[in-house]
Amino acid sequence: MGNKSVLVVGGGMSGISAAVEAAEAGCEVYLVEKNSYLGGRVAQINQYFPKMCPPNCGLEINFQRIKKNPNIHFFTLAEVEKISGQEGNFDVTIKLKPRYVNENCTGCGKCTEVCPAERDDEFNCGIGKTKAIYLAHPFAFPMKYVIDAAACQGDSCGKCVEACEYKAIDLNMEPQTVNINVGAIIWATGWKPYDITKLSNYGGGRFKNVITNLSLERMAALTGPTEGKILRPSDGKEPQNIAFVQCAGSRDENHLKTCSSVCCMATLKQVNYVREQYPDANITIYFMDIRAMGKHEDYYQKVLEEQNVKLIKGKPSEIKENPENNNLLVLAENQFTQEVETLEYDLVVLATGMEPATASDKVPAELNYDVDGFVIDGPPTPGIYAAGCTRKPGDVATSVQDATAAVLKAIQSTVRR
Amino acid sequence: MSGAETVRKYDPEFTKKVYQMDNGKWVKMCMQCGICPTTCTLRGIMDHSPRQIIQLIRAGDKEQVLQSNTIWMCTSCYTCSCRCPRGVPMMDIMHDLRHLAEEEGYITNQSHMAQVYYNDVAKRGRIWEGGLTLKYSLKLGVGNALKLAREMQDVGMEMFKHKRLPIFPPKGVKNPAKLRAVLQKAAALAKEEG
Amino acid sequence: MDKKYGVYICSGCGIGDAMDIDTLVEAAEENNIQACKTSPFLCGKEGVEMIKKDIEEEGINTIIIAACSGRVNYDVFDFGNDKIVERVNIREQVAWVHEPDGPDAVDEEEDHTGRHAQDLIHMAYAKVKSMELPEPYKIEDPSKTILVVGGGLTGITAALESANAGYKTVLVEKEDKLGGWLNKVYKMTPLRAPYTDLEDPKVEEKVKELEDNPNVTVYTSAKIKKIAGGPGMFDATIEASGSEVTERVGAIVLAAGSIPVKDEYLTHLGYGKYKNVVTHAEVEEMAKNGKIVRPSDGQEAKKIAFIQCAGSRDPERLPYCSAACCVESLKQAIYVNELNSEAMTYIFYKDIRAAGTYEHFYKKVQETGAVFIKGEITGIKEADDGTLTVESEDVLLGGKASVEGVDLVVLATGMTPRTAFGQEVELEISDDEAAAAAEEEKAPADNIIASDILNLDYRQGPELPTLKYGFPDSHFICFPYETRRTGIYAAGSVRAPMDMAKAVTDATGAALKAIQCVESTARGAAVHPRSGDLSYPEFNLNRCTQCKRCTEECPFGAINEDEKTNPLPNPTRCRRCGTCMGACPERIISFKNYSVPMIGNMIKAIEMPEEDEEKPRILVFACENDAIPALDMAGINRLKYNPWVRVIPVRCLGSLNLVWIADAMSEGYDGVLLMGCKHGEDYQCHFIKGSELAEIRLSKVSETLDRLGLESERVKAIEVNIMDYKKIPQILDEFAEELEELGPNPMKDF
Repeated sequence: MGNKSVLVVGGGMSGISAAVEAAEAGCEVYLVEKNSYLGGRVAQINQYFPKMCPPNCGLEINFQRIKKNPNIHFFTLAEVEKISGQEGNFDVTIKLKPRYVNENCTGCGKCTEVCPAERDDEFNCGIGKTKAIYLAHPFAFPMKYVIDAAACQGDSCGKCVEACEYKAIDLNMEPQTVNINVGAIIWATGWKPYDITKLSNYGGGRFKNVITNLSLERMAALTGPTEGKILRPSDGKEPQNIAFVQCAGSRDENHLKTCSSVCCMATLKQVNYVREQYPDANITIYFMDIRAMGKHEDYYQKVLEEQNVKLIKGKPSEIKENPENNNLLVLAENQFTQEVETLEYDLVVLATGMEPATASDKVPAELNYDVDGFVIDGPPTPGIYAAGCTRKPGDVATSVQDATAAVLKAIQSTVRR
Repeated sequence: MSGAETVRKYDPEFTKKVYQMDNGKWVKMCMQCGICPTTCTLRGIMDHSPRQIIQLIRAGDKEQVLQSNTIWMCTSCYTCSCRCPRGVPMMDIMHDLRHLAEEEGYITNQSHMAQVYYNDVAKRGRIWEGGLTLKYSLKLGVGNALKLAREMQDVGMEMFKHKRLPIFPPKGVKNPAKLRAVLQKAAALAKEEG
Repeated sequence: MDKKYGVYICSGCGIGDAMDIDTLVEAAEENNIQACKTSPFLCGKEGVEMIKKDIEEEGINTIIIAACSGRVNYDVFDFGNDKIVERVNIREQVAWVHEPDGPDAVDEEEDHTGRHAQDLIHMAYAKVKSMELPEPYKIEDPSKTILVVGGGLTGITAALESANAGYKTVLVEKEDKLGGWLNKVYKMTPLRAPYTDLEDPKVEEKVKELEDNPNVTVYTSAKIKKIAGGPGMFDATIEASGSEVTERVGAIVLAAGSIPVKDEYLTHLGYGKYKNVVTHAEVEEMAKNGKIVRPSDGQEAKKIAFIQCAGSRDPERLPYCSAACCVESLKQAIYVNELNSEAMTYIFYKDIRAAGTYEHFYKKVQETGAVFIKGEITGIKEADDGTLTVESEDVLLGGKASVEGVDLVVLATGMTPRTAFGQEVELEISDDEAAAAAEEEKAPADNIIASDILNLDYRQGPELPTLKYGFPDSHFICFPYETRRTGIYAAGSVRAPMDMAKAVTDATGAALKAIQCVESTARGAAVHPRSGDLSYPEFNLNRCTQCKRCTEECPFGAINEDEKTNPLPNPTRCRRCGTCMGACPERIISFKNYSVPMIGNMIKAIEMPEEDEEKPRILVFACENDAIPALDMAGINRLKYNPWVRVIPVRCLGSLNLVWIADAMSEGYDGVLLMGCKHGEDYQCHFIKGSELAEIRLSKVSETLDRLGLESERVKAIEVNIMDYKKIPQILDEFAEELEELGPNPMKDF
């Protein structure tokens, strides 16, 4: 341990990128992730725009980079509890939550077969259940099972302990504390989808068929709860009339004040998911501005050429549910026609914006935040750098660039001392 | 509201005038998202949606804005303001516009109604529906009044049956002088601030 | 290395239930090995200790682990860098994907699953036998200096950020002073929270910072005549103030910037025709002078109209969105308001693309009272007094909008990267070759435009290959600094249309990549995607026939040619994909741990059943990056497929040498399947065109197969991505069925 080392907090795309970029530039890196696996939000995403390629492909390469690089030490189920010291010399306390599964785990999966308890599958946005001992998703890295203590019945059950031939399960595992000293810190705890229950006029959380764009990603993903089929949550039917509502919680003084910058492209991409499965489905996009920056414009234009895709300029004010069939009525003024229209859909996707994780979980050091909770790095604690969606909302490529840039700033912090 | 061939000439004069009013700064902040038109419960009987009113101000279309019934139909329910992503207090803008319409002499049925209503309340602190109807009719002129009466006769009869259209005025509030003092004070305050 | 072999077989996780482990040990012992042990839990402490003991006591240094996938317990079997460790995946790719052998399977010779595992052990033995530990390619006195090409905002930032991290930096600017576009602007769009305040460009301050930094050398009025060499040893010949200097540098940041869209793309908006139609650049100039005026008469402009997407988002001009023009116009609307609060601004737009945190800036501009009109421009007319009338669609109110008496129309001009200008480079080929090329299918060449910026002394062309619209950007979302010329990283508006804040971040990121490259090169290690790989291709030039396939096909332009068309490899430019190895018909290119004979020996290592046994054998070459994980995932999901397949992982399908197909056929395999990444416009191949090249090579094989009396259907290439794991059984079983219809390979009994 020395001042040449860098702590990266958050094991999503930005954090992973920062970690491998720093390590490959010669730094000793500690990577801390709160979940039981690395990959963060991108692991939940089905395909990236505009190439429609699977995020697991890029994650695989990055995991290989981590596996091969002895300079990277990563911790899962870990959170930074305390930071003291200053640029060039930070003492950091990391708290490790018990996984209840030790390094003996071979990933064979016998334990889940016998586990009687269930929990909500938060990786799949709560659609479906997992066992109390589970692997968060098939591509989880590290491929080690984990127990949700809140769902596990504990010693009174112990079925998994019996089933495991490799003595990998320890129901009495205790939390641990790790202390490290680093020269700089990169904070990349990323984002969470804006809580749609706060969008009460859209029935967020109340109407089953009003879902977030992230839920749609899970449904469209082969590893998701519907094995890639996009279905109406209320009855499992194939949707034929789908509305996308942009800026759901973004660009809004009442919610997220900034533009989340990815939702436009995300929706255009999701239009393609739907079209691929249901070529005849009617798709409507309610928008204010379509922000398809740079070459993404090509992608936007292609979507516009599609049959049965309609754009309505106008922010809907309300979504109502038809209680008989759980269809949804979307009320909006269509500025292209200047008419008020109430249109019926069988599925509504809210293009939910990005709320920074730091809006609620602050960095345990003195730092400034902008109105939405994004970290403003620099004084009062130089040497801590925000990267990716912790600094500002952005797409994957932008976040990786940002993370790469943050690494150079971090290295500067380590050489200054 | 307009055919494809309509060419609207954007003119800054009226725009700037509204910008300078109390809530003019909020007119600037609207981003035309379009949530207010369908949020407004009275959109159905407005000739322009609140969003259109804002953009018409920006177009400098004084006639359309001050002639519109929209500015008078706003009931200040605040729903649009609550939902507005820019936090624009639309009811306050409408209030400014009503003043402007008055000042500029834009007399419409709705402005008549507002005047009659105010007078009635100012006088006794309560509404006398019968008298209100009569006074409003007088303002409209006999021909228009008869026309309105025909259109509204069902509503009128129902109200009458339920004793909601009394022929004699109701008792006023206990102390009308105090009420007038309140109103005068409010007017004075408004003048000071405005 | 004097190898002592140990084979360690795990019987846990259902492996022991699926096959007879004793037979596996017997098979392993058929090879010349020094130890073979089994464990019910090899990755457990005792298992690992057992191996360690053999290493210590028996001197075992070449270790074959027959257990689970190396992707799972990747860190358990780490015995130090001086050992060769080879993982044989008999769990995910054997035990979990085939039906278990019954108790009498071995006696009845129906032990298909066990035989698969045996073959894999034989193959692994053949592999490690043919392999040496790589020795890094280290150059003498590697340069760690960063060369930054372009002295605008991006270039200045890249140079300063590298220098501040302690690296020597050379900055080359073609103009006589630094600053580029920044010299022309009055203010910059917001760079930091709260994202509402304009910033001074402070060019002098930045230049002074550069000048004061002892790590930085600046050349102005300078041009790069030539860059030769490779990472760690680039020699850049710089022509400055009439003389030439050569700087040795380690890596390069290309920050050549962009220029505004050409004038002829603006004529439809009256530019060049009406005096009072100007561009962003001209308004910056006016704002610097403190007054925004009408060019026609010098009077102050009081009514100003901005026209967005001037030349951008237009299929006949720049089809892309230039990404910065919205915020630039917003910024200039602030100028207008600051210089004269009475002035009125109209902004004609399609979409206001003030993305992300620029929303705060958009609000700030709204406060000025600017009027936004959404719709396409339908006409611009000039009145006698020089004022203009702008007409457009009016989406917000319906119908059309018209603004008369406009003093100044400002066109929000898009940007074109500097790399887009110049002749497209066509590689010189002789007439004979041209004729041959016409017959042969070839991989599409890189799009290289001779923009006269880097002037690389590379056989494949003098500049970075460009993607769409002349931007030399990355095709990868996860790897935005992926580059097709090792050690050269594009940043800023030359790479993609972008605003100033983004250019600053981009410059910093690219500088880090350059630093990483010089550090890796100094260690003799590869950069992304095989970062850290110490192996590199070695050429046995005595046997070279000067066919030029390697120099042409290298996706990274790593190999030059001498005048006799002998290849001149540049190992520091190499990305270790092995495409050259696959391309070479003479098989003269090898890595210490990856070679044509090595794979050839693996192919031959299996026990080929006789024709009458009716046990087909299918050879699968699978790309390590996507296809192998997909096969693993099929196993993890316990999807079942036939036990006839024998998989050989390859670095990239681009490394596929056709001799392997011939080897496989003559060895008696019934079919060969290539599993590679997606290619074409949205390619996913991490080595750009490896999988595509493999398919092209394959198209040439059918003739040979026909000559041997074999059906060309026996060899097939497919695209597999990591998420296709559920399709794996279908792919493999359907191919097996197709082969069954063709009957066994007639070469089997030869």
